[in-house]
Amino acid sequence: MPSPTSRRTVLAALAGGAAALGLRGAEDAAPGPKLMRAIPSTGEEIPAIGVGSWITFNVGEDKKLRDQRTEVLRAFFARGGAVVDSSPMYGSSEAVIGYGLARIPEKRALFSATKVWTLWQGTGQRQIADSRRLWGFERFDLIQVHNLLRWESHLETLRAEKAAGRIRYIGVTTSHGRRHDELEAIMTKVPLDFVQFTYNAVDREAEQRLLPLAAERRLAIIVNRPFQQGDLIGRVSGKKLPDWAGEIDCANWAQFLLKFAVSHPAVTCVIPATSRVDHMQENMGALYGRLPDARLRLRMAQYVEGL
Amino acid sequence: MLPFSQDAFFALFEQYNRAIWPAQIVAYVLALAALALAFWPRDGLGRIVAAILALAWAWNGAVYHVTFFATINFWADIFGAVFIVEALLLLWTGVVRGTLAFRFRGDLASWVGAALAVFAMAVYPLIGWSLGHGWPRTPVFGVAPCPMTIFTMGLVLLTDGRTPLHLVAIPVLWSLVGGTAAWFLGVAEDLALPVAGLGGLALILWHNRRILVPATAAPR
Repeated sequence: MPSPTSRRTVLAALAGGAAALGLRGAEDAAPGPKLMRAIPSTGEEIPAIGVGSWITFNVGEDKKLRDQRTEVLRAFFARGGAVVDSSPMYGSSEAVIGYGLARIPEKRALFSATKVWTLWQGTGQRQIADSRRLWGFERFDLIQVHNLLRWESHLETLRAEKAAGRIRYIGVTTSHGRRHDELEAIMTKVPLDFVQFTYNAVDREAEQRLLPLAAERRLAIIVNRPFQQGDLIGRVSGKKLPDWAGEIDCANWAQFLLKFAVSHPAVTCVIPATSRVDHMQENMGALYGRLPDARLRLRMAQYVEGL
Repeated sequence: MLPFSQDAFFALFEQYNRAIWPAQIVAYVLALAALALAFWPRDGLGRIVAAILALAWAWNGAVYHVTFFATINFWADIFGAVFIVEALLLLWTGVVRGTLAFRFRGDLASWVGAALAVFAMAVYPLIGWSLGHGWPRTPVFGVAPCPMTIFTMGLVLLTDGRTPLHLVAIPVLWSLVGGTAAWFLGVAEDLALPVAGLGGLALILWHNRRILVPATAAPR
């Protein structure tokens, strides 16, 4: 009977070979256990690949589109996903997620993450109540202050909610690589469980200060825009995946880019967004197989920069 | 970056068009009436044209933006409020004060105004249909902001006398906002919007200047 290591090696080689040949379905070939990461404040482990919902789940009341997004969520859970991230800013996304969750029995692993995004503290409280109604349950795993908007007053609310047992974790977010100085100041002085910001193979500013600081402060990190809102996928589209991508069980560019982000030791979870089941299948392949070391990570970044 | 996809945008129009049917027919009838009154003007009938335009802006603000579009776009409540302000401006200037009159004068501004009105009512939906944005997944004249704005620019170009610029500011602003969105969403028919807005504004300024400086006032 082959050892798990040798089986992993053989399957990795097969995955790499399939990728080189451009075979579909290679995203399912990555072997090994699911990549889990611990939330530093509690030690609780969550899968390292989640799903974002900016634009992709904002489909309004259209039943056909809602049902299609439900299938995207179903594929996410089927491939071992848990962290679903949204925000009241994302239009109907929270309602569409709630619609999907109500139709997916196999969602026990769900780690629910939403945000509060409004100018006023009182409105924020109502927004959190709305989010509960839209998602369809009383307790969120994580609520974050979206884009640092009125973060002081909203964190006050979130702390009270956490103390009352209605939220398990709290945090703050930013995106597009903006306001890193302010985020750094908050991370330094304010007790938080999570922070969320942008990090990918070409937007690497966070490596200088935010990622080391989060590790030092024992904060969980959610990485948004790992594909640079699709621009990175556009950049690599039509380009051949390097042969050495097989060394880290990458069968496609999505996995290559996701494994770059998730392999930073300080990162807890990466949340790519997609509206397609096949893309979800590809993304979730990054939850399995080997990860690059520091040397290979640098090579990955340089390779993408050079495209 | 828009917070929704093209697919979600047209799905919203499908839902909206089905929900408000047959308001689209009413909008066409009212628009034809407004256009007819501009071509065959009578004293005081400018109030009716202004009221029709005000109704269209109020409908698009309250029903399209606030009730429907707000479900996928967090800016829509603000858009709705601005549209209602435009409706109030039209009501105040055109209906309460009665200072608006519409007339086809046969000059360049009039011809362009008539062309924009016809474009909004007839050509705009044909372009959409030819691009695959057929009923009900399409912005319909009168009840959708973009063709309604093009129509409004057309009618204000038919204003008899000076065109009040405060009535033009919001349509021009929307022509830029909507035109940008059209670019991102790939809605080709809406690319006419900034052309109508900015081109219409240029013609209005030219038209107003001609009235301020009559040709007979030659320098001594």
